Amino acid sequence: MSALRLLPAILRLLAEGHRGRLALGALLAAATVLAGIALLGLSGWFITATALAGLVPATALVFDVFAPAAAIRLLALVRTAARYGERLVTHDATLRTLETLRVRLFRAYALPGAARGLLARPGRMLFRLTSDIDALESFYLRLGVPAIAAVGAALVAGAALSFIDGWLGLGFGPFLVFAGLGVPLLAALVGRRAARRRALGLEALRVRTIDLVDGQTDLLLAGRMPAQLGAAKRADAYLAAADDRLNRAECGAGFLLGIAGCLGLVGVLLACALLVEQGAIGTPVAAFALLLALAAMEPFAALRRGAVEIGRSLLAVDRLAPTLLSPLVPSVVPLPLDQRLAVEIRGATCRHDGAAAPVLTALDLAIAKGERVALIGPSGAGKSSLMQAIAGELPQSAGHVATLPSALLTQRSELFRDTVAGNLRLAHAGASEAELWAALDAAGLGADIRALPHGLATRLGDGGLGLSGGQGRRLALARLLLRPVPLWLLDEPTEALDGAVAADVLARVAAAASDRTLVIATHLRREAALADRLIAVGGGGIQREARKGTPGYDDMLAGLRAG
Amino acid sequence: MTHPRAPKIGRLSAGSLLSALAALIWLPQAALLALSVQALADGGGFGAVVVLAGFVLGLGVLRAGAEAAGARLSYLRARQLLGEARGEALHCLATGSPLDPRRHPAGLAASVLAEQAETLLPYLSRFEPVRLRVALVPPLILAAVFSQSWVAALILLAAAPLIPVFMALVGWRAKAASEAQMVEMGGMNAFLLDRLRGLATIRGLGAIEATAERLAASARGLRQRTMAVLRIAFLSSAVLELFSALGVAMVAVYVGFHLLGQLGFGAWGGRLDLAQGLFVLMLAPAFFEPLRDLSAVWHDRAAGVAAADSLARLAAPGLEVPGALDRAGAASGPVPGVEIEHLHFSHEGAAKPVFTDFSLNIRPGEHVALTAPSGAGKSTLLSLIAGLAPVGAGCIAIGGTALTGASAASLRARIAWIGQRPHFFAGTVRGNIALGRPEIGLMDVLDAVALARLQGVAGPGAARDLGEGGGGLSGGEQLRLAIARAAATPDLGLVIADEPTAHLDRATAAEVTAGLLALAEGRTLILATHDPVLIAAMDRQIDLTGARS
Repeated sequence: MSALRLLPAILRLLAEGHRGRLALGALLAAATVLAGIALLGLSGWFITATALAGLVPATALVFDVFAPAAAIRLLALVRTAARYGERLVTHDATLRTLETLRVRLFRAYALPGAARGLLARPGRMLFRLTSDIDALESFYLRLGVPAIAAVGAALVAGAALSFIDGWLGLGFGPFLVFAGLGVPLLAALVGRRAARRRALGLEALRVRTIDLVDGQTDLLLAGRMPAQLGAAKRADAYLAAADDRLNRAECGAGFLLGIAGCLGLVGVLLACALLVEQGAIGTPVAAFALLLALAAMEPFAALRRGAVEIGRSLLAVDRLAPTLLSPLVPSVVPLPLDQRLAVEIRGATCRHDGAAAPVLTALDLAIAKGERVALIGPSGAGKSSLMQAIAGELPQSAGHVATLPSALLTQRSELFRDTVAGNLRLAHAGASEAELWAALDAAGLGADIRALPHGLATRLGDGGLGLSGGQGRRLALARLLLRPVPLWLLDEPTEALDGAVAADVLARVAAAASDRTLVIATHLRREAALADRLIAVGGGGIQREARKGTPGYDDMLAGLRAG
Repeated sequence: MTHPRAPKIGRLSAGSLLSALAALIWLPQAALLALSVQALADGGGFGAVVVLAGFVLGLGVLRAGAEAAGARLSYLRARQLLGEARGEALHCLATGSPLDPRRHPAGLAASVLAEQAETLLPYLSRFEPVRLRVALVPPLILAAVFSQSWVAALILLAAAPLIPVFMALVGWRAKAASEAQMVEMGGMNAFLLDRLRGLATIRGLGAIEATAERLAASARGLRQRTMAVLRIAFLSSAVLELFSALGVAMVAVYVGFHLLGQLGFGAWGGRLDLAQGLFVLMLAPAFFEPLRDLSAVWHDRAAGVAAADSLARLAAPGLEVPGALDRAGAASGPVPGVEIEHLHFSHEGAAKPVFTDFSLNIRPGEHVALTAPSGAGKSTLLSLIAGLAPVGAGCIAIGGTALTGASAASLRARIAWIGQRPHFFAGTVRGNIALGRPEIGLMDVLDAVALARLQGVAGPGAARDLGEGGGGLSGGEQLRLAIARAAATPDLGLVIADEPTAHLDRATAAEVTAGLLALAEGRTLILATHDPVLIAAMDRQIDLTGARS
């Protein structure tokens, strides 16, 4: 039920900034429906009236045929134009709304600490940004607009009938609204869980297919291919069961709406018969009422599909609301109070989402401007967490963290599907070509890139495909060099490189860093040797530290893996 | 464009027929309503109408029932076809050989099988009934109108044929626009996935704002493309609506003038009465209704046909893995050797065969390195030994048993494969080692973890949760996990490794080599490699460059 509770807030967010367009779309939809109803009603009246007038030659001559005939043609044109306009405006408004939401969701995911569980699953995050966001469209396009149009039409039809007879209008309008909204609501209730299951089943089918194809060799050799095939087929069977339930709900709703429409029609017919018998109205008016009733039920049928699929949209609300509704306030790491420091951490306690124990406990650390520090310790000791805390990626639950503006070189060189220049300009959007070349030369990659036929405009594939491991690391380094910040955080900068390449990259880092402050997280001797001070991290705090030139420093360095 | 599912679609007709019948029930209903109004005009009161109204109601219930039943039947048949098509495609993906060059990449296969295949459902369940309705309903209604007034029928007839012409013209342009839209959409998704994978880096570089702006621009481009497609689609239905609305209006105006006596012709020499006039008027919108439905499902058709094509391509027969879905028999016995005699194999469509009359004997327990330049057939030979593709001619025997479709599953049960890029399933380290093999318990998994020296990575009880595709593991850790997976195999006799140390730095490669040697102790090991350290650790090096034929 949480989705329903969050729905109003999500709907407000949906409408934000596009209210005018959204309202115009709904208005045009109502105009379309009304023109359609009026067209049929007026035609019925016209034919009946002309038939009766035609019986008497005298009235036939004075009967004004031109006004109603022109009105009928006008309504036909209005209806077509309004329908075209409605569809364009509503779809354009929907797409604009989703576009805004997508970008907003991306920004929310990009906040440090947000979506931590999803970060390891970029494929799932992509799904949130695409199909979940798309599922929100039905609130406007498939429910909101048709409901407004249909209810508007029902009310107008009711009002028109109440001019003929108060009770007729009072009976017919509300009947339409109750039946027309009630049946889709019923379908929504019946189909809600199934629509949710359908979305989950589709995702399961997708994942199991990927596993089946990519894991084929492993599955075949483990003798598990029949099991995997069975699992994928089960996902489709699950999907089929959900589909079936949804289809039953949709067909049932169609049946009920058909009967309700027929009941309304017959009701109006009988009421008109009574009124004609009493002499309250003439036959043309009765024909008008009848054809009005005939057309007024139709718009509600459009609600059926959206109603049946509401479970999918509510699932999207469930998944997106917590992220979308949280305020978009980027956390700002304050500057150290002490002018001489680059990093100032006092009593910081940090924990990862969902972890029982804090990963850093009441940690104190001060790093002077220009100092080069290596954080060492075994995997899982908290090196990377401390780096994240310094980078402002891991918020502290207690204590104080202040640093100069920093740039983080992550463990893996994450390069992107873009040109070489595009990858570099991520660090410094306004960098000139000369600056890019200077950075590439400093990173030792300039000659390699010059040798490429397209130079800086060379496109890289997914994850920097097309460069070797060493070239990729150098490109990441060049990108770091372009970042105009005084504090560099390097997380295992040469982890996957061969000795010679690693030595060259490290020498270039040392040279390019000049008077910048450097924090390196590492378990390799070659990287730690760059530092003026070694800090052993473990057990949520600092266990030991030593400055260059002291015996402790050499001890600690000797304890690291060669390379 | 051909799509092999077309013949089966014909069987949907029961549901389609019911839905056409439902549409035709409107004929008597409209007649009854018209007669009711006539009765009122003739001075008959409530009593004259109540029986007619009862019939209208009864027919209405019948119509709603037929419509619902028709839709249901069409759906059931369509869903069955979808399930069958998916099953076939899955079966082919499971049994198709990884050596088949036409094999689909996983991401594409998954999106065809999941999202794209979904579009078959609306196509099969809606388009076919609509097609039958278009063929059946308008002519019958036209005949009914014609029986009353040939002028009214002529008006409808004049408006109708223009509709398909316009729709064809518009659809022609829509196809190009729609393809452009798909390209734009694929582009945005690829851009997003790429950036999401490196979100931490983007944040570290302070480039979130710039990336969000590029995403916004990309989304804007997609919207403009989508709107271009929709404008065309909406224009086509607007044309349709215009003709149908004008058709109805013209009929109404004609009937009105006719009843007034100003247009006396058109009713077979006589004069329409009120009931006839109303009847004709009420039939006019129903004449256009199926055509409007057709335009609404036109898009379903385009998507559905494309999906049927893609699914058929997935299910196209190709090179098959022998015995892919067989259950393995009991596997035990001494460590097997491998004998290859007069092997012949060539890739489909390749000019030159990979192997012609190639023979090789590997003794039980021997550790062998296959070396040769890239493309010389090292990986192909390993795949053939593992039974991942049928041999063209000649024979591969493992432990004295010839590798055939019947024996492959049982032979594979004693083989483990360590590739360059092992696949990881979403779940725990333990799940990734056991792979759901029921005979592997927790202790076996922990032994395997210890052998591959993964204790620091696997977490207590090997319960660490891995991200998508092992995203949280380094390259070396991924390979060691693959070694642990192999080590957990009961009665493992033969280990096959395809360039296990490629793309690794020296220290990591040394760890992987150590793990591999520990795994292969007392077992046969065949690996393909360029790594001199690894070659030196083997008993024998076989250079395939000269040995291929």
